[in-house]
Amino acid sequence: MSVATLSDTTRSAAPLVRNVIRAIGFGGLGILGIVVVGANVFARAPAGEAGYGPSFALPSYAFPFGTDEIGRDVLSETIHALALTSSRALLGTLIVLAFGELLGFAAARLPFGLNRTSRWMARVTGAVPPLLLAVLAVALTSPQFAAIAAGLAAVPLAFARAYDRASNADRVANAEYARATGIPPAVLFRRDLTYEFRDRIFSIAARAFAAVTITLSTASFFGFGATQPARGLGLMIAASRQYYLVAWWTALFPALALLILILFARMAAGLEEGERP
Amino acid sequence: MVRLLVRQALRFLLGLIGAVLAAAALSALSIDGAGQGAGAYAAAVLSRLGHMVQLDFGLSLVSGWSASGEVAQSLPYTISLVGLGALLALAVGVPLGVLLGTSPVRRAAAPLIQVVAAAPVFCAAMALSWISIRLLGAHPLVPGSHLFAGNAATVANTLVLPVVTVGAAGAAAVQLALRRAASQAQQQSWRVSLKLMGLPSFEIDRVYVAPEVVAGVLVNLGEVTLALFSAAAVAEYVFGWPGAAVLFVKSLAFADWNVAALILLVFAAIKITADLIGSLASHAIIGEPA
Repeated sequence: MSVATLSDTTRSAAPLVRNVIRAIGFGGLGILGIVVVGANVFARAPAGEAGYGPSFALPSYAFPFGTDEIGRDVLSETIHALALTSSRALLGTLIVLAFGELLGFAAARLPFGLNRTSRWMARVTGAVPPLLLAVLAVALTSPQFAAIAAGLAAVPLAFARAYDRASNADRVANAEYARATGIPPAVLFRRDLTYEFRDRIFSIAARAFAAVTITLSTASFFGFGATQPARGLGLMIAASRQYYLVAWWTALFPALALLILILFARMAAGLEEGERP
Repeated sequence: MVRLLVRQALRFLLGLIGAVLAAAALSALSIDGAGQGAGAYAAAVLSRLGHMVQLDFGLSLVSGWSASGEVAQSLPYTISLVGLGALLALAVGVPLGVLLGTSPVRRAAAPLIQVVAAAPVFCAAMALSWISIRLLGAHPLVPGSHLFAGNAATVANTLVLPVVTVGAAGAAAVQLALRRAASQAQQQSWRVSLKLMGLPSFEIDRVYVAPEVVAGVLVNLGEVTLALFSAAAVAEYVFGWPGAAVLFVKSLAFADWNVAALILLVFAAIKITADLIGSLASHAIIGEPA
């Protein structure tokens, strides 16, 4: 089948399928949210409690996710780590929304060449992989700021997208007519901003959440995230590297939790397969 | 054409200037006293900028060698990894992009692809490593002084897993760029006009749509490059490669700002160059800025 005819079928089915996928994504995130909020209830053991079970117990009825090298319950640890990673990713998401989306949208209307300067800065910072940018931000501050760093690393891309959308909105014929009839630029901006956030805010937030979660957990895997005793999913997986060839469950279950979290966020954002969040 | 070239050259130069400024700002942290107020820091940045213009990137605070020497030693590993990963990404990503566009295959594969796409690269790398060691009995090797030294088995054990990790991340970026470009080409109004003129669909696709799609993919060359370098950082970390991407992470851990600044500059320059090449190649194919 030729390249162009391929997308005919995809496009016709897209809106309904995409809405269903989004609903599943938000539903999944909601369920995970309940688990995260009630982490101390759902987890049988407090975070980091050693000796809860024998060392390296295989997954069983008593220990559904098994135990790790010092007898921590992997199920409880995974729930606590999921709570930590999600809450930090949420903070990073707010940073992306404020400094990427909102500022990017506003920056497109700045006068005196400030708009182009800000776009140039986003292009330059966006030339560095977000992961390395996040690691750099943590190195310059402290691992305590990992969530903010992961959010800031995703800002250039979000900023550029919002900026370009705002520029396009400002160039359409409607905007030209509105300006010609004397409607002040501030009113036009407010209108565009309202439409932008009303129509896209949940999708944008879910997209940002997926991006921040990936960056945050990878930075944590590198040792630039949550530090002991607070363990995020990235650090849990990193800690399992010594044993995962024999005790596969110490890596598998945290990795599955991370994958499910990102998958639901991607679905909620309505992302295409492989699309960069 | 001249206007486009000037505009692209200007954008490229401004991007490079920005990257140099960012690298100087980072490298300035290695100067004693740079942290004593904004004035001292600004002076340190200017000092580092002056040295960078003369291609003096300072010394590594860890090894005492020149930062450029350290980076020159590790960069070939990353470039080789990214290059081989890019080849794999093209070999897999292009057919995958076309295949996934066909309705039945797409419907069948969509849930699986969504799950695969949601897996962070480090999880994929560890999973590959586990499969290789536990199921196939092949232990990944750390590369020696020369990547392709040794017999075929040694080379394969050194290269396959890191290249597959990077290639998979790149393939996802390539197939997405392909499908995005195909979708944009699909929305062009001239397709309908050409059909009304009696041209067969295959001819329209071959002569008019295919160049648009290729140009659309080329425009995203910078994005693909970013995906490859991100994946390279993870692959080097997991498989113990002594590459520049992982050197960046290590140098930050040891506050070796000069080395980190130079790697940052090199990566940003490569991405900006990829953007330029992609944009010009796209223009060469379809004759207008994509």
